[in-house]
Amino acid sequence: MKSDMDMVIVHDGEKWIASNEDLVVEGRTLPELDACLARALRETGRYSGPKVTVFMGFDFNTIPSWIRQYGSHYFNRYVHVEV
Amino acid sequence: MNGVKRQWYDGMAHSEDWWAVWLGLIMFFAGLLSIAGIDIVGWQAKPSTWSEFAKAAKPAGKAWAGLGMWGSIFVTYCVWTVLTCIGAYFMRLDVKKFFYGWTCLFVITWAVWLIGREAHLAAPVNQFEKYGLGWGLSLGGGASYILALGVGLIIGNLIKPFAAFIKEACKPEWFIKTAIVYLGIKVGLMSMKAAGFAFEIALAGACATVVAYLLFWPIIYTMARKMFCLPREWAAVFCSGISICGVSAAIATGGAIRAKPIIAVMVSMLVVVYAMVELIVLPGFYSTVAPDQPIVNGAAMGMTVKTDGADAAAGAILDELMRANAAGRGINWEADWILTAAVMTKIWIDMFIGVWAFLLALIWVYKVERQPGQSTVGASEIWFRFPKFVLGYVFCWFSYTAIAVIWPQVIDAASIGANTVQSPMRTMFFMITFVAMGSITDFSKLRGMGRLALLYAVALVVIIAPIAYFVAWVFHRGMVPPLAS
Repeated sequence: MKSDMDMVIVHDGEKWIASNEDLVVEGRTLPELDACLARALRETGRYSGPKVTVFMGFDFNTIPSWIRQYGSHYFNRYVHVEV
Repeated sequence: MNGVKRQWYDGMAHSEDWWAVWLGLIMFFAGLLSIAGIDIVGWQAKPSTWSEFAKAAKPAGKAWAGLGMWGSIFVTYCVWTVLTCIGAYFMRLDVKKFFYGWTCLFVITWAVWLIGREAHLAAPVNQFEKYGLGWGLSLGGGASYILALGVGLIIGNLIKPFAAFIKEACKPEWFIKTAIVYLGIKVGLMSMKAAGFAFEIALAGACATVVAYLLFWPIIYTMARKMFCLPREWAAVFCSGISICGVSAAIATGGAIRAKPIIAVMVSMLVVVYAMVELIVLPGFYSTVAPDQPIVNGAAMGMTVKTDGADAAAGAILDELMRANAAGRGINWEADWILTAAVMTKIWIDMFIGVWAFLLALIWVYKVERQPGQSTVGASEIWFRFPKFVLGYVFCWFSYTAIAVIWPQVIDAASIGANTVQSPMRTMFFMITFVAMGSITDFSKLRGMGRLALLYAVALVVIIAPIAYFVAWVFHRGMVPPLAS
């Protein structure tokens, strides 16, 4: 699936944090994170289309190293934001 | 985006799973060169049952006999140290720490392996005369496995500074997955002799796995929600961890339902500790209670014991104990069929986790946390969660079966290299897995786990173990390994 924007997502124990070089958004839940992302994208005014597809890939390097031998992927998600 | 997987090939150079395939295929192709009359894997040291220590090990290949015992162990160390350190480098481990840890693991492994093959511990009853014995425990290769596990557990629980020192190299999942790729060669060789039986085990294993899945997951999910009042996310991750394939399933499910990673981490800690308990208890229990149901016991082990390492280890101990027991009754079953039943069942479970996690992700995104038009799940998630070592296992299995069918005149030559890779190399990786797995198991981690630990124990004893055994009995009863020639 093609995306207009790529972000890395992590969880710091309390909230989800999605970031890339231009943007950092946070939310205690994923819907909250998505709402925060939508707000941030509208504020930038950089995207003109009705919808922006954002790819969020979980950074598996934030998982404790002893567990990484059992799996190497947590999740990826595509968020469709109306701007 | 270093820790993010997006392309289908992401992780090929950096994950333990793929490195099990690479190490597996390197030796698979090296072993195949024996078809051309070149034995480039015969340096691998191979222990045997001994009453004189000088005969405790020798090179696996006749062409390398000049190396002697210590020469072959040294070459084995050098070759595997180079290969595993290259793997560690690509997996972005601390190579210096890995090297020291690997060296300690290798020395401990070989020490306990050789001790465990002493005739009083290993020789079967019918060979007492050959070794001049008045008594013996007749544990077969199981003695080495039990010793390796015991030493690993002592390190992990009583010598914690040393456990921390070797921790970088303690990668039981990598080692066991490599060994399972080599087991694919063994299954290929066994299929040459008993193709029907091998496929019967595979098919019955697949059916048993599906049935077990459909029973375990809903029963334990309901129990976790209704009786132990776990929140939905905790219940789902816990359920997959205990019902499916342990830590991998907990991670996959946690990701699929977008649970906080801490949930998967906590469940994983429980899985690792309980897997060790299962590994210690079940092989002896099954071989004592049902000595005449070898394949049922193997398959039940595959469905009950979580994590690939613990399952393969438990299968290996069960194989040794049951064959030693049968030998005492005058029945000589061929080695490794019981282990194969345990591993094959587990592999089916492993393969299915990607699909299961994908279904859960769809249910969670589109039903549980429904937000129309906002978030979607890519089918690529199935591939990212697919256990890649299975590709190596199946490739090796089918390659040897294909050689037997298409090019039967080279079987004898092909077996020279294959026998080294599938026997002493594979067993060495099993042994290293035992030591590594014991070293990373710290029983004190159960402290503070409260109702989660209690739920795990109850679910394991009351639901998983009995149902797994019943399902294994339904699909595998009466199946016994071919007799050894």
